[in-house]
Amino acid sequence: MRKTLLALGAVIGLLLATALPANAYEPVNIVHTERVQAGPYGLTVGFSTWPLRAMQSLDFTFIPDGGIGTKTGTLALHNPSAAAFQRPQPLARHPRKRDVWGLDIRALPTEGTWAFRFTINGPRGQGTGELKSLPVLAQPGPPMGLSWAISSLPLIGLVVLVVIAWRRTRGRLRGGGVPAAA
Amino acid sequence: MDLTASGARVVTATRRPGLAPAGTVLAGSVISMVGLTWDVQWHDDVGPDTFFTLPHLFLYSGSAIVGLASLAVVLLTTAAQRAGRPVDPRIGGRAIGVFGRTFAAPAGYLTSGVGAALFLLYGLWDQWWHGLYGFDAVIDSPPHIGLLLSVTLSIIGTTMVFAAAREHRWGRIGVFGSLAVLIAFSAVTALGLQQVNLDPVEATSVGSTLLSVLLVFAGAGFLRRPGGAVATAAILAVIQAVFWWFSPWAARTYADLVGLPVRDYVSGVPDMPALMPMALLPVAALVEGYLLIARRRGWQLGRVSVLAGGLAGLLVGATLLVQRGLVYSGHVGDLTAVLATGVAAGVLGVTGGFSGWRFGGMLRLLAPVSEGSNA
Repeated sequence: MRKTLLALGAVIGLLLATALPANAYEPVNIVHTERVQAGPYGLTVGFSTWPLRAMQSLDFTFIPDGGIGTKTGTLALHNPSAAAFQRPQPLARHPRKRDVWGLDIRALPTEGTWAFRFTINGPRGQGTGELKSLPVLAQPGPPMGLSWAISSLPLIGLVVLVVIAWRRTRGRLRGGGVPAAA
Repeated sequence: MDLTASGARVVTATRRPGLAPAGTVLAGSVISMVGLTWDVQWHDDVGPDTFFTLPHLFLYSGSAIVGLASLAVVLLTTAAQRAGRPVDPRIGGRAIGVFGRTFAAPAGYLTSGVGAALFLLYGLWDQWWHGLYGFDAVIDSPPHIGLLLSVTLSIIGTTMVFAAAREHRWGRIGVFGSLAVLIAFSAVTALGLQQVNLDPVEATSVGSTLLSVLLVFAGAGFLRRPGGAVATAAILAVIQAVFWWFSPWAARTYADLVGLPVRDYVSGVPDMPALMPMALLPVAALVEGYLLIARRRGWQLGRVSVLAGGLAGLLVGATLLVQRGLVYSGHVGDLTAVLATGVAAGVLGVTGGFSGWRFGGMLRLLAPVSEGSNA
């Protein structure tokens, strides 16, 4: 029993020790910015990579002139394949840069021209503005069809296994055995 | 982890041959499940990701435990067979020759081991994927679904391992437990169906419902007595309740440990537990009642399972969408989607009930006991 507990303790210790790199998160590094005017409020939109590619994650920052202070707001995304803006979400502080709003490790899933609509509430009332024509290039890597085919291999293997097992047990599962099908 | 039932040593050493390796593979699956619910909650409530997070290590070590335990049993079985000792089929099922009979692998451990090996391969692919696309915390990426399907294969192997020990009480309980773990996992795997647009039918709910119904009926068909469906659904309810508390707690505790803040505007809903169907336990009780009436009237249960599966699918599918609406927004949501999803899940539930009952029978055949007995 003592040995088991010691072994368990060692495993947990090892897990915690190797998990420490989780502490070392990279800072938010903005390499490109765009300006948006939302009513009376100027806003700087920052991107941690540029140009953008579909499915590649990045950090977005949204910094109103004069800081987020007492301001609140929402962001609605427009996917190039959709007819309308998605449901607005509250502008939240970036988890690794708490003095500004932002999205962390977020990928835009499809290529094409995206748009961001900001609605900001503050001391000077409410203002709305859009970052139009945000270009997102094609995804890198293999085509999604191929990737999904590779990922489906365990499922295909499972189906084959079930078919073989089903056929082999067919006789034994009829009648006196487990009355499964007939 | 002795494998030879014929050896007097084994019989005298333990009265439960096979419990230790079976328990180990189930423990590995449960550790993976803990890692998954923690990881999903972490991404929603906190965010940043690296390969070396504690939830990831739970996910990977769970699969490693399954893989190593399966490998150990296969090697011991191979050694026993080569030494001319009879191999006990209650330990993981009948041994199958692998690589031209180089190895003798019990069917259950072969399946769980292959699942664990595939997990490793898809883990490598996932690493490459994240190198290309970054750590974007998307659950339904192809490598993630490959990983989840590999775990699914491992848990199916675990179910087979316990089914082979059906004559033991722990074997039967282990089957219901691993079926419940499989339902819990499948709730997340079904998110791969987000790629399928069947508006107003919600494809993920239909997929999740089909698998839940199928696995509950597998529990019923395996036991062949009243109680199999309810036992499976009840264990799932316990998993759901424990994770409902655990997932947000673990995400926040780990965030405190590594000094990261919790996101603004977190929903507070435990993500993975919220995906599991809450109606499954009462629906399983209804199924048991229906099967009981059918037994008393001498109906063919294989046929009964078709209609019962359809009704179970309808109920679970429709209530799953209502459940998600209530949990996340406090509103039932779009009634058209609820009805359409319920009907689609009901249609597929017909095949779920039929196949599940049959799978239960197939699981029974893994055990070397006469079909006349009820054990």
